[in-house]
Amino acid sequence: MTVILQLMLNGLLVGGVYGLIAMGFVVVYRSGRVFNMAYGQFAMLGAFMFWTFTGSPDDPRLPLPLAISLTLLTAIVFGLLVERVIFRRMIGKPEFTSFIMTLGLLAVLNSAVMIIWGPSTLALAKTVPTGPVNFAGITLSQEYIWTFLIALIIMGIFVLFFRRTRMGLAIRAAQSNQTASRCLGVSANLNSQIAWVLCTLLATLGGILIASVQGASTLLSELVMVVLIVVLIGGMDSFAGCVIGGLILAIGENMANYYLGPTVPGIGSIFGIFMILVILLFRPHGIMGANPVERV
Amino acid sequence: MMMPARPGTAESNNRLLEAAQIELSFGGIKSLDKVSFHVRQGEILSIIGPNGAGKTCLLNCISGYYRPQKGKIHFKNSNLLNLKAYQIARLGISRTFQSPALYPQLTALDNLLVARHIHTRSNMLDSILFFGKSRKEEMASRQAVEEIINLTHIEELRKRPVMMMSYGQRKQVEIARALVMQPELLLLDEPMSGLDDMMKEIIAELILNVQESGMTVILIEHDIEVVMGLSQSVVVLDFGQKIAEGPPQQVLRDERVIDAYLGNGHQ
Amino acid sequence: MRQRGKKRIDQTHEVAILKTSGQWIILGVTILLLVFLPFLLRWSGNVNQLMFINITMITIIAVLGLNIITGMAGQLSLGHAAFVMTGAFITGALTAKAGWPFWAALPAAALITAVIGVIVGAPSLRLKGFYLAVATLAFFLLAQFIIRNMDLFGGIFGLSGIPAPIIGGVRINDDTEWYYLILAFVLILTFFSVNLTRSRLGRAMFAVRDNDTAAASMGIQPYSTKLQAFFIGSLYAGAAGGLLSSYITVVRLDQFSMWDSIWYLGMMMIGGAGSTAGTIMGVIALSLIKQILHMMSMADWVPYFSNNWTYITSGIYGLVIIIFVSFQPYGLIALWKKMRANYKRWPFGY
Repeated sequence: MTVILQLMLNGLLVGGVYGLIAMGFVVVYRSGRVFNMAYGQFAMLGAFMFWTFTGSPDDPRLPLPLAISLTLLTAIVFGLLVERVIFRRMIGKPEFTSFIMTLGLLAVLNSAVMIIWGPSTLALAKTVPTGPVNFAGITLSQEYIWTFLIALIIMGIFVLFFRRTRMGLAIRAAQSNQTASRCLGVSANLNSQIAWVLCTLLATLGGILIASVQGASTLLSELVMVVLIVVLIGGMDSFAGCVIGGLILAIGENMANYYLGPTVPGIGSIFGIFMILVILLFRPHGIMGANPVERV
Repeated sequence: MMMPARPGTAESNNRLLEAAQIELSFGGIKSLDKVSFHVRQGEILSIIGPNGAGKTCLLNCISGYYRPQKGKIHFKNSNLLNLKAYQIARLGISRTFQSPALYPQLTALDNLLVARHIHTRSNMLDSILFFGKSRKEEMASRQAVEEIINLTHIEELRKRPVMMMSYGQRKQVEIARALVMQPELLLLDEPMSGLDDMMKEIIAELILNVQESGMTVILIEHDIEVVMGLSQSVVVLDFGQKIAEGPPQQVLRDERVIDAYLGNGHQ
Repeated sequence: MRQRGKKRIDQTHEVAILKTSGQWIILGVTILLLVFLPFLLRWSGNVNQLMFINITMITIIAVLGLNIITGMAGQLSLGHAAFVMTGAFITGALTAKAGWPFWAALPAAALITAVIGVIVGAPSLRLKGFYLAVATLAFFLLAQFIIRNMDLFGGIFGLSGIPAPIIGGVRINDDTEWYYLILAFVLILTFFSVNLTRSRLGRAMFAVRDNDTAAASMGIQPYSTKLQAFFIGSLYAGAAGGLLSSYITVVRLDQFSMWDSIWYLGMMMIGGAGSTAGTIMGVIALSLIKQILHMMSMADWVPYFSNNWTYITSGIYGLVIIIFVSFQPYGLIALWKKMRANYKRWPFGY
């Protein structure tokens, strides 16, 4: 019993972070139907920028609050840049074209990160407390707890922003019907900028959180696979779906690894694929996804 | 060419399409409420009614886009509700859309060639080998398409990409596309909307021509003069219900129709 | 309507691929050049480029397959490299382990890959666009997983000692002979691909790509059309894979990665999605860029560059894709047609 609880709690902690990260992907998909394959690279870039500011354990640089602020600032600038230079001209073009752009961006960013920071994993100076926490026979790692709580807070802010503020409402309107909301005074360009900035911010935050635990590494580029599975499970245009998808994936991976790991090595990585197949068979648009109705 | 059966004569009482008790709902909204009507072979039937009455929905049910929750639609001997859209097209029903469903980057000629699909038989292997069956069919298709182009007088538009055409021209090409399929039943969804009087006359003449060659036509239209001039039978829908059916003169004097749709200017 | 003279339309001319005698001449010259290419290279002392050319031609075959699935039928496939990988491994296993001759193994591998392609394309009934793309991506990972765990395919070490084909009793054993073999494949498969664009099935694919509801209203079966596209496209990729593994004589998992699928898409887009000639142009263009960068790094002009050659190459690929698709979303083939049209009108600007 405690084993299952342990697996589930661990999954909860990791899944929450997955969910937060996936939201950044959903933001630009809902906003401009952009399928951002370069999302993993955004996270990787964020993590490495953070390393640049905060340093490694034996070479600490700036204090944590300053490092985080600077990293988020670069994330905002980067988001504005990407939007202005690449994706603004993609508004109105078929979604396949902007998708190819994200592929190009993926390659460029990947190379840039490799060249600037090199291919090895860089450990981060301590950001969250580490060490195990024991209770009721369950062992959890403090880092995971901290990252989960931070992710929860950020998600909360995000949801509040979208649902309670006027700007959030305007963005949601613009995402539903760009032309109509332009007539009502909501700028399409502003909407696009905000969406991309949110995307880079969330990616960066996600990258920082994961790097706090695992170090800044190029494996972060694989994050896009996790995100894709999460949004497929939860629905590509749903924020709530991100959370649900994240939880299902993380808990499921844990369970699969524990129960089936010994018999089938590497089952954990295959679990994601298995989830994709299941979802595609039964709920192709995701658990919370909207099934578009075609009007003739 | 078949001699057309003049409506009202014995041969023409052959019902080509029969729809019975169609009910169609989207969520809580009932688009069609127990609608029944029929079309006789060789006649032109108009469906009229205010916007939102369900006219396009009815056409969509016939052509297979919407599946009504209740009711029956029989075309010749087939129950259309069991069939998918492409199967219905292959049976001999073709339609136009209110906004022309043409491929904008292709030329008019290419758009028409696509519509020849059901009249050709090449399979995958024939296609990649091309020389032989596929090529023969290609030439035959192009010949057939040229005839339709001549019939619909769109010669100048042959090699022009659709996205460079005016609205009226697109409507012409859209009708030509439906004709290329050589249907027995042609469904036209507001073919005259947005056109000026001269274009309307051209299209009206075209509709009469195709009727003469044996086609049956169901027409959604708002222009009452067109309806009067072309149709042998009129069905009136309002809020998803059929409120009248019959020859134009009779229907257009019906009290309910005048209240719901016509107003008093059409005495 | 006033009667006007009816234009006489020559259907043979309309249907033909090569319409003017000028085009026939260009085709003839190109074929001659291709046939004599190895000798030209030998004469100019550049024979080692032949390997690059062979690999490029194999890539052309693979990307032509992607062009059919994604460019013509509009089904975004992010896992195309998986089909090449499948064809490579199956061919290798059949020839190296089961002792089949190349000429039996390659068609078998291609056909098996084609069938797998249809299975991968099966979700296209309910999935559109990016959802389908993720499914193809999942297939790529699944394929990697399966191959890694099957002894038949040599696990992580892959297969080696893959024998080359025998033609007329002689085994092919150098780049020049491979060149002609691969060239033959490329020419035939290109011919089929062009035929597809002007035939019933190709037209159905374009119709399904651009508006599958309208296509259905014209009697086209969207699902069947998509599956046929997957069949042919994966067939091409499988054949490319089989040629690849026989040419290189070894096949390992690390030869195929997600990046390949991405580059294939990029090549197709840059050349012109949906167009056979465009796709070929795109593959040649990007392959040339890669080769030039490679030679620059070998020549060691800039030491920093040589060390980071792989990253810089991908970065430049990405930049090329971004810039090109921004300004020429319809690809090189559209640019070419524009230039031709301007040339015809010269010196008039309109």
